[in-house]
Amino acid sequence: MFELGPIFRALLRQKVGAILIALQIALTLSIMVNAIFMMQQRSSQMARPSGLDEANLFYLSNTVFGQNYNHEAALADDLRLIRGIPGVVDATQINAIPLSGGGWSMGLQHKAGEGEDDIGVAVYMVDDHGINTLGLELIAGENFQLTDIEWRPAASVSWPARAIVSQAMAEALYPGAYQTALGKTVYINQNEAIQISGIVKTLQAPWNGWDGVERSMLVPFQMENRNGRYMIRTEPGRRDELMPIIEKALAESNKNRIIRNVTSLEDTREDSYRSHNALNKILLLVIVILTLITAFGIVGLAMFSINRRRRQIGTRRALGATQLQVMRYFMLENFLISTLGVTIGAIAAVGLNIWLVSKFELAPLQPQLLVFGVLALYLVGQLAVFYPARKAAAISPATATRSV
Amino acid sequence: MLLMKQLGKVFHTGEVSTHALREVDLEVQEGDFVSVTGPSGSGKTTFLNIAGLLEVASSGLFLLDGENVNQQTDSQRSKMRNQKIGFIFQSFNLIPELNLFDNVDVPLRYRGFDAKERKRRIEQQLELVGLASRMKHLPSQLSGGQQQRVAIARALATSPRFLLADEPTGNLDSQMAQSVMALLEDINRQGTTIIMVTHDHGLAQRAKRQILIKDGRVSELTAAMHETLHHEPLHIVSPVSAEHSAKVAGV
Repeated sequence: MFELGPIFRALLRQKVGAILIALQIALTLSIMVNAIFMMQQRSSQMARPSGLDEANLFYLSNTVFGQNYNHEAALADDLRLIRGIPGVVDATQINAIPLSGGGWSMGLQHKAGEGEDDIGVAVYMVDDHGINTLGLELIAGENFQLTDIEWRPAASVSWPARAIVSQAMAEALYPGAYQTALGKTVYINQNEAIQISGIVKTLQAPWNGWDGVERSMLVPFQMENRNGRYMIRTEPGRRDELMPIIEKALAESNKNRIIRNVTSLEDTREDSYRSHNALNKILLLVIVILTLITAFGIVGLAMFSINRRRRQIGTRRALGATQLQVMRYFMLENFLISTLGVTIGAIAAVGLNIWLVSKFELAPLQPQLLVFGVLALYLVGQLAVFYPARKAAAISPATATRSV
Repeated sequence: MLLMKQLGKVFHTGEVSTHALREVDLEVQEGDFVSVTGPSGSGKTTFLNIAGLLEVASSGLFLLDGENVNQQTDSQRSKMRNQKIGFIFQSFNLIPELNLFDNVDVPLRYRGFDAKERKRRIEQQLELVGLASRMKHLPSQLSGGQQQRVAIARALATSPRFLLADEPTGNLDSQMAQSVMALLEDINRQGTTIIMVTHDHGLAQRAKRQILIKDGRVSELTAAMHETLHHEPLHIVSPVSAEHSAKVAGV
């Protein structure tokens, strides 16, 4: 019934155009599949939860310039002021902002001493309001008590006795049994003992590109810092309203400092993933342009082929081909060309992915993505050839008897 | 079998209307061999196109095996062409990328025969035209006469009841033309009805019936008219209407 055999044999005798289009399809497939793969990876990175109540969080910088500034008293006053403002859920001083790209990291090791293996961890210094302010989910142990909070002078290098770690950090320390981390003593700065007193479900580090982005810990510190930050959590829907109010209240409460960089966590997330978003858009544009070029190539080849074969199409119609059968002929022809293209393209896509994996440490390509790419290009081919095929089907059978 | 009554065909180009065929009355019986002659531009090809369902008449009645083809859809006419009509073209119209086997196979696929039946018919028809040994050859590897034989094989492969030939010898030398004509006569003797458009007066006379088309009007030449016109080339014959033909024939 179908004419695959004769179409294939006819293509073999007119192969240059078909091979060029097949190569174009192959190139499009290999680039498209790998580009989608890279987009997927970036999208899944962007979709990772930070563990924070991002929608209701904002932070600001508190830059001190006055002499004889009493940091400890000012901090207590500021936090009391912020927490007292209606609509504020909680607030804490914090040394680093998740997803911001800048922060502290240390290594935790099981045994004290130099040369012991350590596991990198992002460090957030907060007080006993830290967990509530950030909106973290405590899944084991307990929050810091007021008595746990230590004052950390600017030049201090010591660490407190307790820490709360993220589940991912607990898992890294005790693979397969993160719960056992609770109560355990680990070592920071090679020799300083620190006891794990709690585990939070998720808390991302400030660096979204770090492979240990899920590993972080909270330590009970309040800091002497001439350029400190306050993290503030508001009731749902009141963040934007409260941002200028709190900025103004703090600025007016103490003239020996300036309040600046009032930023929501959502904006920080957007900034953090700006390059990811931009790259995804560029990759999408590349895919769209390549697909369009391929589609136009198919349309062009089909139109050229149909114009060259008008008499032949008329003859086929005269011999009994219905319009549908003429359309089917050209769509099958495109199917065969696409098959050659996607076969070469699939091999090239896997090859390109192997190279990307070895060069940029990406994960291997998922087979279902390749299947998607193949089906997408078959669809593009069939859609592209549909209009020329309709034009071919509209050729009158009387063309067969015309002398010109 | 084929009946045309007051058939007309008008082509419209902008505001200009061209009457290619006017008030054609014709009946062709099963087994007829009808030659159609006439000067260039007289409407022969239009007549053949309409008879072969390649075009639709603008007016009048056209019955093929009792079916009013003017009222059929394009798809129905395609199926009827495939089932009942075989075409032979002046330029052979073989598909250059396909070998002889695949060329003859074209109408059989549209007919929906299975592979075994198609193969049987292709081999039979190529055998009939003496080209069975060359079925894997491309048309370009054959002479003009051989290509026309392949076209005849293709036209006959579906066992059509009508064979429409448009200048089948027009691109052949006289020896080849005689050979193709002999083949057509043989096919007609086996029962296939043939309508053949030709410029060749000698070949036209070998048909059982002769039709003259001039200025879109069709008239049938009788034996008596042949006597009268025998030494005159057809392209200078004055317009012939049915009434005029009768007068010339002395009826």
